[in-house]
Amino acid sequence: MTWGSLLRSNPVLSAARTCGPLPAETDVVVIGGGLAGTAVAYYLAREGVDVVLIERSELNREASGTNAGSFHFQIAMHQLTARETESARPRLLSDVRLHLSAARLWQTLEEELDGALDLHETGGLMVAETPEELQILHDKHLIETEAGLETHVLEGSELQGFAPYLAGDLLGASFCPAEGHANPFLAAPLFALRAADRGAVVRTRIDVIRIEPGFVITTSAGTLRAHRVVNAAGAWANDIAATSGLRLPIRAEGLHVNVTEPRAKVLEPLVQHIGRRLTLKQAANGTFIIGGGWPARPEQPPARFTTLWESAAGNAAVAIRVMPSLADVRLVRMWTGVMAFTDDLQPVVGEMGSLPGYFTCIATTGFTLSPMIARMLAAHIARGESLPHEYAPDRKGLEWTATT
Amino acid sequence: MSSGTSCELLVVGGGPAGLAAAVQAASLGLDVTLVDERPTLGGQIFKQPGLQVRDHAALGRDHRRGRTLIQAAERSGVRLLTRTSCVSLQGTNAVIVEEGGHARAVSASHVIVAPGAHDRPVVFPGWTLPGVVTAGAAQTIVKTHRVTPGERVLFAGSGPLALAFPAQLHHYGVNIVAALEAGPPPRPRDIARIAGAARGNAALFRDAVGYRVGLVRGGVNLRYRRIVVRAEGRDRLEAVVHAACDAEWRVIAGTEERVEVDTLCVGYGFFPSTELMRLAGCSFRYDEDLGGHVVRVDEWMRTTVPGISAAGDGAGVAGSFVAIDEGRLAAIGLVGDERSAGPIRRRLKRKLRFQHALQRMHRIGPGIYELATPETVICRCEEVTLAELAQPIKASDDINVVKGFTRVTMGLCQGRNCQRQIGALLAAQHGCALGDLLVATPRSPVRPVPLAAVADETIDDLGLFVAK
Repeated sequence: MTWGSLLRSNPVLSAARTCGPLPAETDVVVIGGGLAGTAVAYYLAREGVDVVLIERSELNREASGTNAGSFHFQIAMHQLTARETESARPRLLSDVRLHLSAARLWQTLEEELDGALDLHETGGLMVAETPEELQILHDKHLIETEAGLETHVLEGSELQGFAPYLAGDLLGASFCPAEGHANPFLAAPLFALRAADRGAVVRTRIDVIRIEPGFVITTSAGTLRAHRVVNAAGAWANDIAATSGLRLPIRAEGLHVNVTEPRAKVLEPLVQHIGRRLTLKQAANGTFIIGGGWPARPEQPPARFTTLWESAAGNAAVAIRVMPSLADVRLVRMWTGVMAFTDDLQPVVGEMGSLPGYFTCIATTGFTLSPMIARMLAAHIARGESLPHEYAPDRKGLEWTATT
Repeated sequence: MSSGTSCELLVVGGGPAGLAAAVQAASLGLDVTLVDERPTLGGQIFKQPGLQVRDHAALGRDHRRGRTLIQAAERSGVRLLTRTSCVSLQGTNAVIVEEGGHARAVSASHVIVAPGAHDRPVVFPGWTLPGVVTAGAAQTIVKTHRVTPGERVLFAGSGPLALAFPAQLHHYGVNIVAALEAGPPPRPRDIARIAGAARGNAALFRDAVGYRVGLVRGGVNLRYRRIVVRAEGRDRLEAVVHAACDAEWRVIAGTEERVEVDTLCVGYGFFPSTELMRLAGCSFRYDEDLGGHVVRVDEWMRTTVPGISAAGDGAGVAGSFVAIDEGRLAAIGLVGDERSAGPIRRRLKRKLRFQHALQRMHRIGPGIYELATPETVICRCEEVTLAELAQPIKASDDINVVKGFTRVTMGLCQGRNCQRQIGALLAAQHGCALGDLLVATPRSPVRPVPLAAVADETIDDLGLFVAK
């Protein structure tokens, strides 16, 4: 089945099921209809918890539906504080362990949700151009191995044999067989549908105006009372938090993505760069999706971020450096999605110490991690399972940056 | 991207509106750069032949008008860049790419966007078969390359401008088997209304009536109230089925006729090319008579984005006479010369009144959106059929949601072909008006550009996404 026909064959939560009245009360209200929110709603509904999800626009329209759908399991450039691994070793170890559990969860989701997610375990390459970068690959390989994640460092002719489409003068690459991708258009809608099937109330086009302790949630469609609140509003989580007088260590950033015309399939794995900003993969329909952390221009609200031609140009240059045959492939679209960033890039999952009953469920590497942290949070809310304290929303050591 | 250039005025589009704007602005002393993606200037209506021409008189009035305007532009000192596309516009900062060249940033004080219009795509079974062409494409084949699009050509369309095409093709010796007009034959009161609005619009009136007369005189079988139903053929077009339609353009059962042809020329009107204006964030309104979504402009043709003006069919399809005046007005607006603007505004008002009177006779009927069957491909870039859209259009009336589920509008054409048809499906499903619906978010570049033409090794890591 092609990517397109998969998309179209998946069942869809119809507008008729998302536009009904808002209930007067519930146990848990979830704010945000992205991957994190729909997954929390699903896992709570599965636990038998009474849950209402409120989305201000449409499901899956922001970061959850505008990212490239890649799974990032091996240590990447953005996780390094310096051009080495040693200074951040404990954090990197814990990151990889979390990634590993997310990888395992994704493998079970198609069966769990009874639908297609267009899941592909293609493996992922992280290339190095310089001796210094190659050293980082070797160092991070040790950490990954210790955490239980399989990676291999390939050099010279070994790499050329394995990935002949890469530039011949790259010094090496680490390969992580578990990496791959799923379809970002499918995941959150399927979680939402299955949440609704299990009794969750999913409501779109409702604005949350204010959340008062107790909890009293004032919305554009009336007032709702709930025992507990889950803030899963992603890049806008701080706007929601502010209505309760809270601040979260989250800021919004726009990330640039380039998409090309379709070409014959040559590239199987996800390709990244340990020293320059690049993620590159070829989708099932043949288009190359190129990104990796190039910025976008912030606009005045309600506008979001707009694309920067400079980002397209810089990103394209790195892509061609790594895979020279991309030079004559035509760019057809660029876009930017809004993502939630925390300054330490760790998830923000747990209960606010200052406001019991108020939870957050947000991750920076959101597509990879959201189902995982949503399940952890649901288990915590429903059954009191403990959550890692290093993800607590009011943990120490975070810079509290303003958001919007 | 190589180092950027700057100019006082960037004109995008070298058709009637763009040329008129550039010439006018240059005469006001502005430093003007004009880009057009085609190899020759003149746009669609003034398209010049690719060959050496000995007898310009033989090529007709539009050709002569175009030649005069192009010559004026060539003498005006305007920097004329052909084979050059404007692929991105943010405020008055544009990115242009010459064919085979590298993307360049152009920072302008003002931009006049005059991108023209494109054919209204009509979706019916078989619309993607080779041999089915739009009126504009057939015109290009004949005008530029001087070859006939086929041996037996059926024309199906509507509107006064649409009838110009079969008349023109006939004039060039193309065998038009029949011309089908979905609208009614002109009634006396329509003619009276048009004639009433025709005062001071002699040229336009001559066009509107002349094409019909030309067709009839040429012996072309012109049939009113008939619409294309489907195109048939294995690997290419072999036959077309057409039928009588009612006032809503809905097919009347039992009236189907099948005619064997090798070319179907489809001309149901035009849409303004709005991508750049959307990308720049200009505000839009909906006017079916002017092609649907049209950019909002003030009395100087200024859009809602500071520094950006729009003119010509790209700002609402109204033909070359209106386009030229709008182009001039947009240029004069840069210096705010009220005195020269007055007569142009009065003339424009008159021409637009005539345009509306004509369009009222030919207003698109909703039946045009109901020709597809479940197997019919709606989005040809991403190969999405009507059946595959059935579920997603129920999810929301927002086309961006449908796009997420199906990839419609995300291919090479960026929705120019399928977007209105999907809008009509959404409007029918959710009971709203086409004009109230959102359109798919526009994306840069508006034309495909090779990655090597985009890439710039000198751009440093822009520094984001770093753990602290």
